[in-house]
Amino acid sequence: MSATISSTSTAEKREPAPPEGPPVTGPSPGRALIGVMEPVHGRLLTSIAVAATAAVLGVAGFALVALALRELLEPVPDPATVFRLLGGALAGLLARFGLRALSFHLSHLASFELEVELRTRLAEHLARIPLGEAQRLGSGAVKKVVQDDVRALHIAVADSVPLAGFTLAQPVAALVALGLLDWRLLLAVLALGPIVMIGMRLATRDYADTRRAYDEANEAINAAVVEFVQGMPVVRTFDDGTSSFRRFATRVHAFTRATAAWQESSRSSMIFSRAMMAPLPALVIILAAGVWLTASGSMSPATLVVALVIGTLPIESIMPLMWLAHHINESKAGAARISALLAIPPLPEPERPEQPADGSIRFRDVRFSYGPDGAGRPALDGVDLDIPSGTVCALVGPSGSGKSTVARLIPRFWDVTGGEILVGGVDVRRIPAEVLLRHVSMVFQDPFLLEDTIAANIRLARPEASDAEVEAAARAAQAHDFIVSELPHGYQTRVGERGARLSGGQRQRITIARAMLAEAPIVILDEATAFADPENEAAIQDAIAELTRGRTVVVIAHRLSTVADADQIVVLDSGRVAERGTHRQLLDAGGRYARLWAHHQRARTWALGSAARAEDPAVTR
Amino acid sequence: MRRILRLMMLAAGSYRREYVRCLQSSLAASVVQAAAYATLIPLLYELTRPQVDEAAAWGWFGAFAACYVAETVLRLYELRFQYSKWADVLAEARLRLGEKLRTMPQPELERRAAGDLSTVVGGNVANATTGVSTLGLLFTQLVTVPAVLGVIIAVVDWRLGLVLAVSVPFAVFFVRRIQRLSGSGFRGIDAADARAADRIVEYVQGLPLLKATGQVGRQSRRLADALHAQGEAMTSMQKRVTWPGLLASSVVQLCLVAMVAVGAALVLGLDLSPALLLAVAAGAVRFAEPLATASAMSQVFELTDAALERVGDVLACRPLPVGAPEARIGRFDLAFEEVSFSYDETPVLRGVSFTAPERSLTALVGPSGSGKTTITRLLTRYADPASGTVRIGGLDLRDLDPAEIYRHVSVVFQDVYLFDDTIRANIAMARPDATDEEVEAAARAANVHEFVSRLPDGYDTRVGEIGGALSGGERQRISIARAILKDAPIVLLDEPTAALDTESEVAVQNAIDALVADKTVLVIAHRLTTVAGADQILVLEDGRITERGTHAELIAAGGRYATMWAAQTRARHWRVPSTAT
Repeated sequence: MSATISSTSTAEKREPAPPEGPPVTGPSPGRALIGVMEPVHGRLLTSIAVAATAAVLGVAGFALVALALRELLEPVPDPATVFRLLGGALAGLLARFGLRALSFHLSHLASFELEVELRTRLAEHLARIPLGEAQRLGSGAVKKVVQDDVRALHIAVADSVPLAGFTLAQPVAALVALGLLDWRLLLAVLALGPIVMIGMRLATRDYADTRRAYDEANEAINAAVVEFVQGMPVVRTFDDGTSSFRRFATRVHAFTRATAAWQESSRSSMIFSRAMMAPLPALVIILAAGVWLTASGSMSPATLVVALVIGTLPIESIMPLMWLAHHINESKAGAARISALLAIPPLPEPERPEQPADGSIRFRDVRFSYGPDGAGRPALDGVDLDIPSGTVCALVGPSGSGKSTVARLIPRFWDVTGGEILVGGVDVRRIPAEVLLRHVSMVFQDPFLLEDTIAANIRLARPEASDAEVEAAARAAQAHDFIVSELPHGYQTRVGERGARLSGGQRQRITIARAMLAEAPIVILDEATAFADPENEAAIQDAIAELTRGRTVVVIAHRLSTVADADQIVVLDSGRVAERGTHRQLLDAGGRYARLWAHHQRARTWALGSAARAEDPAVTR
Repeated sequence: MRRILRLMMLAAGSYRREYVRCLQSSLAASVVQAAAYATLIPLLYELTRPQVDEAAAWGWFGAFAACYVAETVLRLYELRFQYSKWADVLAEARLRLGEKLRTMPQPELERRAAGDLSTVVGGNVANATTGVSTLGLLFTQLVTVPAVLGVIIAVVDWRLGLVLAVSVPFAVFFVRRIQRLSGSGFRGIDAADARAADRIVEYVQGLPLLKATGQVGRQSRRLADALHAQGEAMTSMQKRVTWPGLLASSVVQLCLVAMVAVGAALVLGLDLSPALLLAVAAGAVRFAEPLATASAMSQVFELTDAALERVGDVLACRPLPVGAPEARIGRFDLAFEEVSFSYDETPVLRGVSFTAPERSLTALVGPSGSGKTTITRLLTRYADPASGTVRIGGLDLRDLDPAEIYRHVSVVFQDVYLFDDTIRANIAMARPDATDEEVEAAARAANVHEFVSRLPDGYDTRVGEIGGALSGGERQRISIARAILKDAPIVLLDEPTAALDTESEVAVQNAIDALVADKTVLVIAHRLTTVAGADQILVLEDGRITERGTHAELIAAGGRYATMWAAQTRARHWRVPSTAT
């Protein structure tokens, strides 16, 4: 292996690894949760109030049933009183169920509206942050925040809010009612207080630690599942799956051990809460007091019936809360990620916008680092470039040398850390984003297509373009022929999800047509694009030739022969310009480029197996 | 109901017996719980008598307390399964699913989206086992307690029992209705969610373009529409289940009031003693409680049901059969005999026949979609051909144990898969028993050693999730080192250098030269220069071999191959045109 190839240190080769999701640097999860609910705060408060009213009316209803029974126990019961009380009970219970349902209904509708609102806000914010930042997050991670994390709020908003109102009001109402009926029963039920407290404590004390431990194990197992499942189709092409299955099995067992350990540690509190936080033990206490008081004749048995009904409500209220606690934690984590994404600072828009004059590009001592606030290893370290309007500039260098960084800084995917970039003579920071992005077209390796018609996809670059203009762009991009002859509905054919119905080369030509239509004076091109589809190489190459005519072109080069005619070739290494000049000049200089060129010549003529077989005359051909 | 029970047993796997025992103790606990509530009837009756017999009252209280203790003990026993066996059941279910994935026919594996399978093995199976261990028990309780209590009340006074019983069919009806409505509602929401997710991905990927034309945030019609449809789907589902939900949860409690009202009428008509009504009312309150819970939980039941269904679906998959698992490969020549293969009804190979002698180099060329990749895949028994036979060393692949096939075949494809583990582990995967020296020797031969020794931890550097931290060429070379270490006599190559840039390409080419020496090689190549020296070149078009021969023969024939060769010679000289001239 030659010195040229190995001269790049490994650290430079590593593009900044995209983080899993936005960094969690926002407010604390709990505050974040309340914060993201802000758009529907008022309606949630209404829901709580309605739920609390429902709880109070329910308790009143039960109490009225008991009063009716007490009346029946009188030596001469008054039928009118009995049925009046029962009528009241019925009304109370009906109101309880109706209002309870109403409160859930309100909170659910609020929750759905909140989802739409938050997703829209996130989408708007994504358009304001640096494009490079949005791409670094990655569409998968963004989708997770916008879809899953927002959805995870549902439990906290739609279910917990009314339930909290209900379960907090119900015990209070129950205790008040008991006190009104017989203060001694109230005391008996209050004796349960410490038990409830201890139960709550036990249930919540272990929470933070055990949940974290379990969560880690759970995340590990999920990662293992994803690796196993996603890798399986590829793994199966070189192995019958045993090696990956072994890895998977190891992690499954590790998860089992972690879970068992966690369950072991929380065992006693679990047993306690299971045994005590149920209606039966409460009934035992109430009954003991009740039997004693009733047998001694100081309390009506009807009062005892009421106590039996509403005395267990305080304890029964707690169970659903514990059940929800787990989900609320998920909501909190989701809210934290949502807030973190919303906290990414937007790219500043110019106060006094200016328009670029032409297609020239100039870098003046540009420094840039992918680290936060420009910290970390510089990806570009003092780059000067001068690309006059209408010329071709090829960027050459090993992966990680800064080629794509240079290309992405031109349309301001990020702001430079130092120096400045001028497009059409104006600092890109003084050009409005919309103007700049219309001024610069990008044709990259992975073509972007909407799940829509061919025409809509081309027109994306200029929504107001006429059908004739769209067709002209497609013709120039060598796309018109296959669109009308190979696709069932011509320009109105839907491309399928991510362009699934088209071949790689066809997708590429659609994006080239789009760039044609944009008529941007500057085109940034990834040369690998030209080789996306070996069968259609020639067509794509003709399309690119058409696209670049008369424009300023910056091309990221992979195979040197394709850029040999460029007006200037810039060789990058470790974020600096190592060499620059025309192909001829650089070959004559006998430096880095000359060595790369020699390599390229060798790679092109490689024929499989010739080396090894030639050494072994025993192998007959 | 029986279906769910069957699926639950399936999910419980080899813990079936423990699970049944746990269900039994749950049943016993529920009966005891109902009995405890039932003792309230005689207890209250006793307390309501003009002359309270204290001893009898305390006796009933004692019975109640005893029931409580018994119930707690039984519940703890029931809990033991949920607590100490749940993780084991889950682990077993995951391993069984993993085993299925390992042996599932490859097309079947690819048909199921990877995300979907991850959900099954990650989330669904957990939901299913949780459902088995908690919902199964909860369900037992929800059904048993009201049933037992209802019977006891009916025995005490059939008229009161009847009023309560009337509520049950109503409750069941509404719960069913919620399940049906939420089933179709969830499907609508799923569809809206999937669409919104696609639009979000699209939005992020297209941001530069969308921003250029001002189609962002609220102005992005496509995204805004999808988000609104999503909100609509959820809202309409909510509106549809609100009334049934309200009725299901209230009907039982309202019947309770009705029972007291009927009872009151009877008491006033001197047809029922007030003491008995009071006593029955105390017990009946507990009758309503679990039924209300059931209606609140119906959506969770629905979710578990769906999870069980999906897990059961994967577990039902059958692996490809093996005819003679003892057969061993002795020679390393390859043969396709009249092989045809279809993918989703579309024929991909139509009667392909060829032989590749041991240690020969065979090249497959032709347009994409012509069947080249399918040929290499059938050689690792990706799937069985629809007709015809694929042989290695004269043996039909259908007779061979998959492990025996993989032992003798190395594959280097464009798609390189690296595990999130050390580089050493990734190379050694092909032969776990290899020594460090052997791993390093393979790494040297594959031009891996040089860049690995510059990494901070050398061979112990972790590659990061699917190797994102390494360049394409480095990852490709690691996969070649893996193949070199494996030293299998048959090597399949699919376009291994297509996506590399110049500096990686030479290194990968050298690595491949080391790999293929002395092997039976089948290679797919787009760049024809790569395979010009092959022993035979097969030109594929539309699933058929249309030309075959050496490079010289095919050029001389002046057919399809000759045309491709000419076109590539032109493309090779293509350059980004200079715009200045």
